[in-house]
Amino acid sequence: MRRTLQSNEDLDTIMLSLTTPLLIILALAVIGFFLAKSRALQVAGGDIRGLVSLPSQHALNTVLATIVPPLAAIFLISLYVRITDGTGSWFFTLVVIGLAVTGLALSLISIKQESRARTYAERWILGLLIFASTIAIMTTVGIVFSMLFETFNFFGQYDWRDFFLSTNWSPNFRGNSDLGIIPLLWGTLYISFIALAFAVPIGLFAAIYLSEYAGPRMRSIAKPAIEVLAGIPTIVYGLFALITVGPFLRDYFASPMGFGESASSVMTAGLVMGVMLIPFVSSLSDDIINAVPQAMRDGSLGLGATKSETIRQVVVPAALPGIVGAILLAASRAIGETMIVVLGAGAAARLSLNPFEAMTTVTVKIVSQLTGDTDFASPETLVAFALGLTLFVITLGLNVFALYIVRKYREQYE
Amino acid sequence: MEDMYHADRAMSTQQDTKISAKGVQVYYADNHAIKDVNVEIADKTVTAFIGPSGCGKSTFLRCLNRMNDTIDTCRVEGDILLDGEDIYDPKVDPVQLRAKVGMVFQKPNPFPKSIYDNVAYGPKIHGLARNKAELDEIVEKSLRKAALWNEAKDRLNAPGTGLSGGQQQRLCIARAIATAPEVLLMDEPCSALDPIATAQVEELIDELRQSFSVVIVTHSMQQAARVSQKTAFFHLGNLVEYDDTDKIFTNPEDSRTESYISGRIG
Repeated sequence: MRRTLQSNEDLDTIMLSLTTPLLIILALAVIGFFLAKSRALQVAGGDIRGLVSLPSQHALNTVLATIVPPLAAIFLISLYVRITDGTGSWFFTLVVIGLAVTGLALSLISIKQESRARTYAERWILGLLIFASTIAIMTTVGIVFSMLFETFNFFGQYDWRDFFLSTNWSPNFRGNSDLGIIPLLWGTLYISFIALAFAVPIGLFAAIYLSEYAGPRMRSIAKPAIEVLAGIPTIVYGLFALITVGPFLRDYFASPMGFGESASSVMTAGLVMGVMLIPFVSSLSDDIINAVPQAMRDGSLGLGATKSETIRQVVVPAALPGIVGAILLAASRAIGETMIVVLGAGAAARLSLNPFEAMTTVTVKIVSQLTGDTDFASPETLVAFALGLTLFVITLGLNVFALYIVRKYREQYE
Repeated sequence: MEDMYHADRAMSTQQDTKISAKGVQVYYADNHAIKDVNVEIADKTVTAFIGPSGCGKSTFLRCLNRMNDTIDTCRVEGDILLDGEDIYDPKVDPVQLRAKVGMVFQKPNPFPKSIYDNVAYGPKIHGLARNKAELDEIVEKSLRKAALWNEAKDRLNAPGTGLSGGQQQRLCIARAIATAPEVLLMDEPCSALDPIATAQVEELIDELRQSFSVVIVTHSMQQAARVSQKTAFFHLGNLVEYDDTDKIFTNPEDSRTESYISGRIG
């Protein structure tokens, strides 16, 4: 753990020491823009009709040539530092600025009447796009690896069988903890199940209403109104669960029916999370239902089917792969949710069937194991990474499954 | 059910009027799409609607089974009588009307279901079969009538979308006749098909005339001449001329009809 922390600090220093070079690169790009424009005009003798590429295209080429290589270099250097534990030095700064200057100079020199700056710029743009996607992919890989290392550390200190098979979760910071994942996974799945059982029918019915029945005016009001739900921060949902839904469920359901006296419960968190998920299900399903060709509906209506028969037997089956995809994406969200659970369901790991009892989830325990004074060598802390990796594998599995379903059935309504 | 259906048929003769439209006006919002159309469509006859694009022939066809109801801005005035009963009467349920007046569309639009379920869709909705055996029988009969049985009998559980374009269109025809309609409306049923599939569907239309009144909209004048006994020529929302197909194509009365069939306008 120390190793990682140290290189994090190194990374910080590098990032700090990179502020100046970045500013310099930016300045060079701006200068390059105007220089390239005027040089192109000058080469053309004031008449741009003689140029193969327009001055603005030369300018674009110059800007990209100045910016792209040093950016790529910065990215590679950061990776290098991360992997080799090396320290950032003035040498790297020089390399970065050197690349910028070289790019600027070369592209300025190459401005001639017949030079094809449009095609060159095209290459730089391709480079920029590849660079951007590389960052996205490398980040995922980086996350997985950082989790993997710490998970290995954890399993070096704690038996994996106890972790996966023990039904008891009672961490003890003086040692001898029971760190079984089962109660946490149970809580996660139970809460997610309730959330989906609430969100899927409501979201789907809302989507069907919006796409099949609502007039354009109703739709233009209702759709954004539902989507507002997606913009509410989860902590606000958590507060809603804590002060409104929890006490309500306790006073009107749990206590009269003798299910318990706890305001924080699986039901509270599940219902509130369900509300949060409605726009995910409805918005995606709405788009998918709209994509079902009108010819399908006409065909069914033309046979004397009613509107709801048409929807039930033709439109929804045709849209099913997409709807399943939407549901699985919502499930991934539910499994990864933390804030609503902390405030709605509490933080007590428990294995129980009673939905009005407090339980907790994997994500909540990750947070609680990593907050406060932590020692990154003890299994009580490292378990967080094992939990995180397990969760990641589950959601990854769900996403892959969702993609598989969507692909498998996509061809069927062409 | 079947018997009643045949008894009905036996009473009607070749020249019976099946559908009679009087003073039909159709508006899309402010656009006057159909202007005062009067037409009598005979039973057990193929009636073709021809005319240039946008002349209103498809719109008029869609009035006959109230498919225009699904378009919000569309307004229909005048009387359309099916067997003497006004189909726009508030008492008439458009859903049941559409079971009696089936429709086949321009582009084959099989449902994303198996071939069997595509054909069984209508009978299931309308409860035409008491048990699975009867349903099987309806499916087989409809597929036979649509000349698809031999090609499809070994793959009834395969998806209908997996068939070729011509087979898909015949599947849609089978689907339409499975609900035992009295009138079959066809909106350019061959425009998405190749010549061979077109010939098969045309042959089929001629056979369907034995059991139904068929109304077909087509862009192809040869097709109208080949398959229909009566032809109506529409132009700019007006019904210009309506007569026996032979007369329309050999000796039209209106100069506009003559210009259209000889290729001068359209």
